[in-house]
Amino acid sequence: MAVTIRPNPFTMVLFDADDIGRIVGEVAALVGVDRDMVVEVDEKTPLGRTFVTSLDPVTISVESGAFEDARRPRHHSETAVKDVVGRLLFRVKDRLDPAFGTPPDDAELSLPAQVAWDAYCVGRCARLGLPVQEQRRRYHFRNRHGFTDVADAMFERLWNGDGLTWAEIEAACSATEAARLAS
Amino acid sequence: MKRYLPVEELARDSRFFRVRMEDRMRDPRSVQRDDKDNRLTPDKPDASDRARALMHGIFVGEVQALEGAGRTCWDFDDIPFQLKLDMARQCWDEARHCEISVKLGDWMGTEVGEFSESTFLYEAACNPDPVLRLTGVNRALEGLAIDVFNTMREFGDRSGDPVLEFCEDWMLADEVTHVKMGSDWLRRLTENDPERRAKALEFQGVVDKLFSLGGFRGEKKVNPIQLARRFREMAGFSTDEIDEISDLAEQAMNEVQAQKAAAGAAYS
Repeated sequence: MAVTIRPNPFTMVLFDADDIGRIVGEVAALVGVDRDMVVEVDEKTPLGRTFVTSLDPVTISVESGAFEDARRPRHHSETAVKDVVGRLLFRVKDRLDPAFGTPPDDAELSLPAQVAWDAYCVGRCARLGLPVQEQRRRYHFRNRHGFTDVADAMFERLWNGDGLTWAEIEAACSATEAARLAS
Repeated sequence: MKRYLPVEELARDSRFFRVRMEDRMRDPRSVQRDDKDNRLTPDKPDASDRARALMHGIFVGEVQALEGAGRTCWDFDDIPFQLKLDMARQCWDEARHCEISVKLGDWMGTEVGEFSESTFLYEAACNPDPVLRLTGVNRALEGLAIDVFNTMREFGDRSGDPVLEFCEDWMLADEVTHVKMGSDWLRRLTENDPERRAKALEFQGVVDKLFSLGGFRGEKKVNPIQLARRFREMAGFSTDEIDEISDLAEQAMNEVQAQKAAAGAAYS
């Protein structure tokens, strides 16, 4: 499995492409994605959006803020790289698994669906020992799915889930939407 | 105890990471700021993470506001005792805000020190003239706090977060009082000294421009933090004064954009 980081070297930020490549390789091995990988970093923007743009080779596109150390501007953070890559590689793994179902392309995903899928992905990262922030993810989930008991229960289900399908993630979204409308 | 404590000597434990404002401003990346809607609203994909970062900024700002008000109690012999009492009351408010902010951080999933700390707020509280310090801190700094708290309160309201909305609303009420105290003391201390008052207001303008943070605060969609006109009026700002802050904010944004464009051009 080859990992390519673009650009290499970085010029606007002080990221170390070789170190990022090492981290990506380690996370991919943990998650179990054994495909060639390209990580494209848009260093022109400090924002933090992330996308999976291809499955073969696996191509992850991020804005530089996604890998940035929030305490040291323009430096990458191993924790941030692991957080982003772990989450996105679980999404890749799900897409490659026929039993998972067929979610829409990333660009077509609604925000609530993205956040619900992320909760499922990051929960599995936690069980692999990757650094995660459970309360941050719960807050993110509440912002998208409502500050309700139903939303909290759905978050727990997704976070602790294993072998879930896209249909189950959609069902969780429907349940929180109904609770939000009723409250 | 030492008077006029320099910013380098502020007490912080190992969780805190300090970053210089000039380093932030020299970051060549934000060149692409365009006319898109950058306001902090829940519909944005990164809304909750932006709110978390802002909440951490509020927390370190509260710590520095506490330190600043405390120093004003201590640094001067020649100010009215009643002013010291007001500053002591403000210390109590800021200490409570620090605790609320830490708990809000827990609620939102943020650790103390997860984001860097800029100390420009405390630096504005180091002016050796108590009148200038009051205008810099209580009118400019606390004025920015009104804008930030109102933005966060509205964010909590729109996202349906009852905890955030409630806490921000209460802290906002305190900030209005702090600004009002600054306005009242500025008037009383310079009643017979128009030159000193003019100097203080000029200093406030400098700090207001600085605290606009190159487009962070303003009245356009591109500004994440919106100027809270209604609450500023409640705190004693006239419409002309608020207009002036709005103009300064736009100037600050244009200047920083030009600096960043120049810095970015070096990389293209």
